[in-house]
Amino acid sequence: MKKIAAALALTLALGLPTLAEAREVTFTTKLKQYGGSPAFVVLYVTDANGQYQGTLWMAGRETKYYRHLSDWKRATRGDLGQIDGITGASVGSGKTLTVKIDLADALIDAGYQVRIDAAVEDMGDSPGEIVVPLSASGAGKPVAGRGYVESFSYAL
Amino acid sequence: MRHPVLIAALTLTTLGFGTALADDDCEAPLADWQPRSAVQQLAQSKGWTVQRIKVDDGCYEIKGRDANGQRIEVKIHPATLAVVEMETEDDDDEEGEGGSSSGAPDPQGAAPATKNPLINGSGQPSGVVQ
Repeated sequence: MKKIAAALALTLALGLPTLAEAREVTFTTKLKQYGGSPAFVVLYVTDANGQYQGTLWMAGRETKYYRHLSDWKRATRGDLGQIDGITGASVGSGKTLTVKIDLADALIDAGYQVRIDAAVEDMGDSPGEIVVPLSASGAGKPVAGRGYVESFSYAL
Repeated sequence: MRHPVLIAALTLTTLGFGTALADDDCEAPLADWQPRSAVQQLAQSKGWTVQRIKVDDGCYEIKGRDANGQRIEVKIHPATLAVVEMETEDDDDEEGEGGSSSGAPDPQGAAPATKNPLINGSGQPSGVVQ
């Protein structure tokens, strides 16, 4: 009986902090009907000073176009290791990209920002399309982009 | 009279050269370039089969196949040997699909594990276009 209790205590001690450290966050990015080729869209996180922390998702596989996501490219120096396993299809005009990711709780309400760069072939680049703080109060509140993004929101 | 023509020609040549440099994907002084054998070694370490190594846009460019036999074209920075650009056979098929849905993360690139500090190890990120 003591062994079971000890095992239970150990499980709780080790397991609960892990559960409390991360949560699934859903990022929803709806594009305008801009009428061009599918857009390359990258979601990434910076700290309050704009220092790059990591990439959440890269929509668009052809790496030769990543230079058009200029803020992200500058921040990562084009390091493709940053997007291993988090790359998918580019986003068509009027379509919605939904990204789900387990994020550390420490990133919420700590001054971190979610940023989006977007680019469309023959239509121009839009670095800094979205810049919003990652906070509990900002969750569920849609924000309009300055170029191709009709609305962006995240749910905690 | 020949001088203005010469000056104009020189100016155009200089401007043109400057543009060509600005268009390069990789910028590294020649003295910093790694030898071609280092590029070959890099390819081998990633499991790629090399068909050709050439220099393009100021970068090394490898044409060959990856470990899965998929055709690849990879630009390598000549000084750091970092992968600057990587195209696979499937890349050309994707464009023009109108952003059709794609749920599974693309295993593009050699390493299956991300070094992204944001991603919690317990959950695999997903992205869907609808």
